[in-house]
Amino acid sequence: MADDVNPKPGEVPEADGGIPDADLVFKAQQGDMQAFDELVERYHGKIYGLTYNMTSNREDAEDLTQEVFVKAFNALPRFKGNSSFYTWLYRIAVNKTINYRKKRNRKRALSLDQFDQEIKTDDIYHDLTAKGSPLRNLSLTELQKKLNEALQSLSEKHRTVVVMHDMQGIPHEEIAKVVGASVGTVRSRLFYARRQMQAELTEFMK
Amino acid sequence: MSDMSGKMDATSEDQAEVLLRQLLHLKKYEVPEASRMIKSKQNIMRQVREASSRKRWSLGDLLEVNVPWFFAEPRYGVALLFVVFAGLQFWGASSRNQTQDMTGIYTPGSNVASFERISTISTNSISYPKLPDNYQLFPDAPRGDSSVKFVGRLEEKK
Repeated sequence: MADDVNPKPGEVPEADGGIPDADLVFKAQQGDMQAFDELVERYHGKIYGLTYNMTSNREDAEDLTQEVFVKAFNALPRFKGNSSFYTWLYRIAVNKTINYRKKRNRKRALSLDQFDQEIKTDDIYHDLTAKGSPLRNLSLTELQKKLNEALQSLSEKHRTVVVMHDMQGIPHEEIAKVVGASVGTVRSRLFYARRQMQAELTEFMK
Repeated sequence: MSDMSGKMDATSEDQAEVLLRQLLHLKKYEVPEASRMIKSKQNIMRQVREASSRKRWSLGDLLEVNVPWFFAEPRYGVALLFVVFAGLQFWGASSRNQTQDMTGIYTPGSNVASFERISTISTNSISYPKLPDNYQLFPDAPRGDSSVKFVGRLEEKK
């Protein structure tokens, strides 16, 4: 995949052997733009993935991603390092996205990114479109539309946990820190959200 | 019978959950155009540089950036403030003593202001005569007044 929009579970970029986030943050706080550039490079895909899946609108996701990084830059002197930069940035992104949608106060039309051609080599995709599957007669575009509509039918807080956990592979504990709730609450929101999505997609579930 | 239907419900629930997970897995293949992402990153850095050039650092921001430990560990900050306060007190006290020591009389001497220590200046003050140790400041009470009698001097206890 071109950009790291949906990271693998538990993946932490700094573990690649690069400079630790904390060092880059410290340098950026001293006014080193190169360091902040590196942080943008590191987390741009993830933040775009979060905002895109939260809005199902790529233009909104692009605007939000930019706003998140600019806000993070302005708030950087106040970042104390009590949580990881990754968690702090996600918190800004989640709050920004929720506020953005509240301000708009209406559902935006879907504007979706194209499926990567690699999908056709995915085993799960083969299973879903195989003979006997409820999805066999559905085109990829229709499938994508239905899926995003089901996602958008969720409330903000439920969508947040589904996107972060089921799409971005972030552990419950980390999600709890980002959304400021207990791990139990995160689990319960996830359970409820999945149930609601199943209800939305019931015609494919038969 | 109810056990059977319960098992079937559980199975259909499991299947629905698996299907949902599979559908959500497919969303990972929704990827943005690389050119749009590059442009987005460039826009971010442009906005950030603009924000940086406009930014006026407040004293608070400068302190937070240059001495972050002061804010991250308030107890050290308070300890430092105490040390600074104690230092200022000590400095103030010593400078006061020095000022007192330097007190003197400035006399015009050959049109140039000069300073002389107070101890070196002769004064015209009259020195008191040395009094005997048993000097009685007040005379005995007048005669006839029996209420007050001189009973003698208080001797210092050894």
